[in-house]
Amino acid sequence: MKKRFKAVLAGNPNCGKTSIFNALTGARQHVGNYSGVTVESKSGFFEIGDISVEIVDLPGIYSLSSGSPEEKIAFAELTKKGVDLIINVVDSSIPRRNLYLTTQLAELGIPMVLAFNMSDDAKKKGLSFDMPKLEKYFGAPIVQTIGRTGSGIEELASKIAKTLKLQTRSARPMPAYGTDTDDAIRAVSEAVEKYGGKNISHIPVRFFAIKLLENDSCVAAIPELNQAKPEALNQMRHLREKHAIDPESYMADRRYAMIAGACAGAVSASRERRREISDKIDAVMANKFFGFPLFLIIIYLTFFFTFTCAQPFMDWIEAAFGFMSDSVKAAWDENTLPFWRSLLTDGIIGGVGGVIVFLPNILFLFFAIAILEDSGYMARAAFIMDGIMRKFGLQGRSFVPLVLGFGCNVPAIMATRCIESERDRTVTIMVLPLMSCGARLPIYALVIPAFFAAEYQAAMMWIIYIIGVAVALLAAKIMRNTLFKGDGEIYLMELPPYRIPTVRSLLLHMWDRGKIYLHKAGTIILATSVLLFIANTYPQKTVFSKDYDAIAEQAMKTGKEKGEPEEKINGIIAALENEKSSEMLEYTASGRIGKFLEPMFSPIGFDWKLTTASIGALAAKEVFVSQLGILYAEGETDENSDTLRERLAKNYTPAQGFCIMLFSLMSIPCLATLAVMKRELNSWKLMLVEALALFAVAYAATAAVYQTCLLFGIGTKLIP
Amino acid sequence: MKDKNNESVPLADLPVGAEATIIKILPNMRGRKKFADVGIMAGADLILEAKSLFGGLLRVRVMETSMAFHARDAKNILTKVRKNEKAI
Ligand SMILES: Nc1nc2c(ncn2[C@@H]2O[C@H](COP(=O)(O)OP(=O)(O)OP(=O)(O)O)[C@@H](O)[C@H]2O)c(=O)[nH]1
Repeated sequence: MKKRFKAVLAGNPNCGKTSIFNALTGARQHVGNYSGVTVESKSGFFEIGDISVEIVDLPGIYSLSSGSPEEKIAFAELTKKGVDLIINVVDSSIPRRNLYLTTQLAELGIPMVLAFNMSDDAKKKGLSFDMPKLEKYFGAPIVQTIGRTGSGIEELASKIAKTLKLQTRSARPMPAYGTDTDDAIRAVSEAVEKYGGKNISHIPVRFFAIKLLENDSCVAAIPELNQAKPEALNQMRHLREKHAIDPESYMADRRYAMIAGACAGAVSASRERRREISDKIDAVMANKFFGFPLFLIIIYLTFFFTFTCAQPFMDWIEAAFGFMSDSVKAAWDENTLPFWRSLLTDGIIGGVGGVIVFLPNILFLFFAIAILEDSGYMARAAFIMDGIMRKFGLQGRSFVPLVLGFGCNVPAIMATRCIESERDRTVTIMVLPLMSCGARLPIYALVIPAFFAAEYQAAMMWIIYIIGVAVALLAAKIMRNTLFKGDGEIYLMELPPYRIPTVRSLLLHMWDRGKIYLHKAGTIILATSVLLFIANTYPQKTVFSKDYDAIAEQAMKTGKEKGEPEEKINGIIAALENEKSSEMLEYTASGRIGKFLEPMFSPIGFDWKLTTASIGALAAKEVFVSQLGILYAEGETDENSDTLRERLAKNYTPAQGFCIMLFSLMSIPCLATLAVMKRELNSWKLMLVEALALFAVAYAATAAVYQTCLLFGIGTKLIP
Repeated sequence: MKDKNNESVPLADLPVGAEATIIKILPNMRGRKKFADVGIMAGADLILEAKSLFGGLLRVRVMETSMAFHARDAKNILTKVRKNEKAI
């Protein structure tokens, strides 16, 4: 049995922590550049020699205080019992800033190993370190690493193992904050020592004393410290009145001074290169005048990439599923177990195939988003967008989750955790479903080519997305002015230098998303496909309004007698069969529900088939497509049957096509989205209100558009 | 601009490209500690790198890192100009 230890990985945002975590554990996790991408702490394992180490990856933080949700999470993890080691990742190209956190971690008295990451950048900048001196100062071994190549990771692992075995606690004298402050710290420490209980005895009292003097909210919330608080307040007043020291910011000042002291003689610098390149790129990308148009172009290119470049792959997948279904049909006699034959081919292969076909879209989109994140552009976009977002009651940080929402609303809603302000966060979550997610893409991908000429397709797609964004911003504005009034919170975001993303990280990210999507296809969508197939088949109608078979036979006979061309006769028969299938479908469970709701949906241009498919879309948006596929497959009359697109174009007008997209864009999101919404908003009420409100808005908007189209005769004719 | 005779200028009023040193952070500023944690405190040198197009945000280089924050908050950061570059 290997001995097990627990280590936590701490560091500033963008210091390359995630890269180190991946290199150590081989765990698949996204590597991003936007401050605080790793909001939830993740864990992984690695083994070295006879020990096994569990590593918890903490969110990136600047300080061990509790200003933001990330800092709260990190604080809670670090002060838990049972942490054997802190692995502090330091961006060694900017040591002064990163070591600030190190000074605070050292105060926890937990054994520590420092990874001086970005050592390639540090070298380029001409930084050199006197390692023995720094190791002595921080009382911890230091290893130079390059997270993106994995250089230095082996040495890091062996230093970790060695430190864990020895359990060497930092022996160096704790940083001094100056006589007056140190006196105050000592007095508060005594109070903590006296009243503090067993639960906090694994952390030095001095740590709590300093945090109490800094007025840290997390520490102040620890019940064991309640009785020490009066002493802390007393000392704070004393420092302020007698020594004109404001402990809240004075401690920070002293820490930076300590680091300056430690670095003097141990770190030497010559030039600053990475930044120079980065600044040149920014002179264009974040330019006051070009920045915004460039941003719009980049977003447009992302969609172009997603939509157009993925097309050939989609065609292949479509062909493969068609082939699969045809092969099964050919090998399986029509009269043996017809229900199961049709369930497998039309229900399962058809339904799942109709969803998997969009996997290329998802992969391409997330590849593009990963480039934006890993390169550092996302943070610039947030900077550029802040002013606009703020006009609508949101903030720059809302921007990233909103863009992620284009991929999938579920992770996007989780990503809103990077927004510190509760109000901004709630509003962002509430408008997020209006960001057209990847699962809605199949609907557009189906509908747009069916009704719009090739040269308008990208523009059409763009319009739909823009409508979503516009409605979302408007809704945000209204909410901020009514339900969620008030002052925003402090906004402080880092703009990391541009970096060329590693292919590995992009592929990992893309693959992660692809997996989630496939998982959804394999579970929820498969299950709903089967359910919907059954609902679309039962109850079965046996008695029809007309004797279709007899009429068909009669038509065939008279046609032949009159010597009419074969084509015409086949056409008549196909029409009759379609009519029969329709009648059969109307009789089934889903037909009945659709029919029942049809009067309610007809003002928005929906017939019962579209209505039925919209209900299916509640399970997952892309089910709309597979559902329509099943509904229209029923009317299949011959082998050379039309594609679903062609059938749609025959049955609906372009105006209806547009309304399908509009309604799908704005209506109630999928169940998974509703579920995370409930969790993140922590309220059933808000979630239900949200669902109802979205439905109402979608209905009203679609009805308005459809009725306007009817009134002015815009796109109300079938495409010939 | 009132930086003529070594007077203090609120960070929010500096022109883009200006290099300055923070001389005082007004006591009523929100989130002083948060700013201090990233090195924005009296004595720190900074460069005002950019102002966002649609207003509101400043991009300030401090301790070799670009940080973005609100002009509204930056009003409470008083600076002394070291070098006054023309806006780009
Ligand atoms: N040049 C260089 N780049 C690195 C190194 N380590 C990581 N990177 C890159 O730095 C960027 C940020 O790395 P991450 O691992 O996401 O950093 P993080 O600290 O986890 O970032 P957050 O999760 O956003 O806080 C990525 O583009 C990495 O490829 C390194 O040692 N040298």
